[in-house]
Amino acid sequence: MEINVRSAENVKILELAGRFDTYTADTARQSIEQAMAEEPANIVVNLEKVDFVDSTALATLVHGLKRSRELQGDLRLCHLQQSVRMVFELTRLDRFFEIFAREDEAVQAFAR
Amino acid sequence: MILPAILAAQKSDFDILAKDWLDAGASTFSIWADGVSLATWSAGGSPQPAALVEPITVNSVKIGELHLAGLCQPAHRLRLQAQAGFIAQIARLERDLNSMAADLIDTQDQLLALYDLTQATRNYLNPEETLARLAFETARLVKAEAAFFWVHMKGRLPIFQQYPRPILTEEALQNYMNLMKESRREFLFSRGNADEQALGVRNMLIVPIKVRDAGTAVMGMLNKFDGDFNSPDIKLAGAIAEFTGAQIENVIMYQVNVEQARLETEMDLAQRIQVHLLPQKPPGVVGLDLWAASWPASRVGGDFYDFIIGTNQPFTFTVGDISGKGVPAALLMAMTRTVIRTKTNVMPMPTPQVVMGRSNQELYDDFTKLSMFATVFVGQYDSSNRKLLYANAGHSPVIYCPAGGKAHLLRADGTPMGILPDSLSKDQGIDFQPGDVLVVATDGFSEARNTQDNEFGYDRLVSLVESIADQSARGIAETLYRTVANFSNGAAQSDDQTLVVLKGIGA
Repeated sequence: MEINVRSAENVKILELAGRFDTYTADTARQSIEQAMAEEPANIVVNLEKVDFVDSTALATLVHGLKRSRELQGDLRLCHLQQSVRMVFELTRLDRFFEIFAREDEAVQAFAR
Repeated sequence: MILPAILAAQKSDFDILAKDWLDAGASTFSIWADGVSLATWSAGGSPQPAALVEPITVNSVKIGELHLAGLCQPAHRLRLQAQAGFIAQIARLERDLNSMAADLIDTQDQLLALYDLTQATRNYLNPEETLARLAFETARLVKAEAAFFWVHMKGRLPIFQQYPRPILTEEALQNYMNLMKESRREFLFSRGNADEQALGVRNMLIVPIKVRDAGTAVMGMLNKFDGDFNSPDIKLAGAIAEFTGAQIENVIMYQVNVEQARLETEMDLAQRIQVHLLPQKPPGVVGLDLWAASWPASRVGGDFYDFIIGTNQPFTFTVGDISGKGVPAALLMAMTRTVIRTKTNVMPMPTPQVVMGRSNQELYDDFTKLSMFATVFVGQYDSSNRKLLYANAGHSPVIYCPAGGKAHLLRADGTPMGILPDSLSKDQGIDFQPGDVLVVATDGFSEARNTQDNEFGYDRLVSLVESIADQSARGIAETLYRTVANFSNGAAQSDDQTLVVLKGIGA
């Protein structure tokens, strides 16, 4: 899985690409933790290029969100592909994560 | 020194040669080496100085001379030259033979030494003991005061064994090894510097040991009892090093095998425990035909199902799926199953929502600490009114197919356990009449993939349940397993597949 990290207005944007599963979750977890090392712990995870997530991947994102909130930040998701969105809906993790259609919306939501 | 030996061995041939010269008119014929006559044949009369002298030369080195007195014609010189050449040829052959014999003895000595080593080390099954014994045997075989082995295999701590006592520090050894790395050959010195002499090191030989898997190893010997380390010592050390390399690999492979066998046994036990945590057969519940099964993707998994029958309580069943795979998921599976079971049993009239809420409260901190969660479905069937009450914490697929009707997914309303401190799952109810089917499966079914990487998917699963809803609970379960396995067409099962099937039947 490829991970591209960018910064915008007090927010770190992590762009993930490929399969996000048991075998790639650790890399993503490290990137998220690294992005939160610097205050504020505001993260946007762009899943536009992620075509598969398994439960380990979901647990990684859950951990990221809980950790960012501990650090008075937040972790938001954007650009979910249809199949990935369905996983969030079926597990009702859409009630836990703030999910945005576009990356700029997710970033702007931090300004509010 | 080879000429006297040839002379002694071939005396009669030299006698014939000499007699020929004397018969031809020579007064004396003699063989010399290093200015000394080794043999002289004389015709009698007063001794005369040699008229012809021919050197016997082997590989440009003069090893002796033939002297002839009383004859000095060119033909005599040619004949004497030919004889000197012939003797030189014999000397050359003799020398080759000697060196081959010496090599043979060396080889035999090495074989004997290696046989000793094999015998000495075959009873040791760990690298430390093997190397300690090898150090002792090496010192004995090369007749040195001390010997040592230093072995560093990838993923293990270095082992440094010295016999009879520690003399070198690892740091000092590293310096020698760096020098060896530069020169790419063995390291040898005959007179130690001041530091080495202070340690009591007179002379030393270190040779590399070839080991696989990016390991580094050397062996060394110090203070030869009799002089300095020489080339036979280097040869012998090389042979010991080769033997040691193979021996270390064997011993380490043995250890890895033992470790693997131990893990295997533990996994077997874990698997047996997990299988026993699941109900061995479905209970008899009035108004229900029940079936359940669980196939983990690896030896142990994070899926579970459970049937709880308490006194004065409706029949309760659960299906859960812990995030992640393998042993971590299996540990939390056991814990989650127990918490839900306990909460159900200790509360007076626990509805699924209450069981879910209380269990989530209890498990939330642990799940958060471990960055895991569990999707859980808790159902309750009341035979007296054929009502099915359930709470769903992020679990899917749950497929409901009313008798003769359309099958559809019962979607979760709450997040999985361990996500939020307070559960969002509420009680939901459906009438569950004869012919109605409920399949509570785990995502190992819907997410099963074939070799073309296509997913089985929810739509296919829902249609399948609808098409087989007339079968018994067991028949539905078996058809689901079989159809998904056929779809996968040999692709490895990547996730646990667990299901509970309920079918309403007449009382």
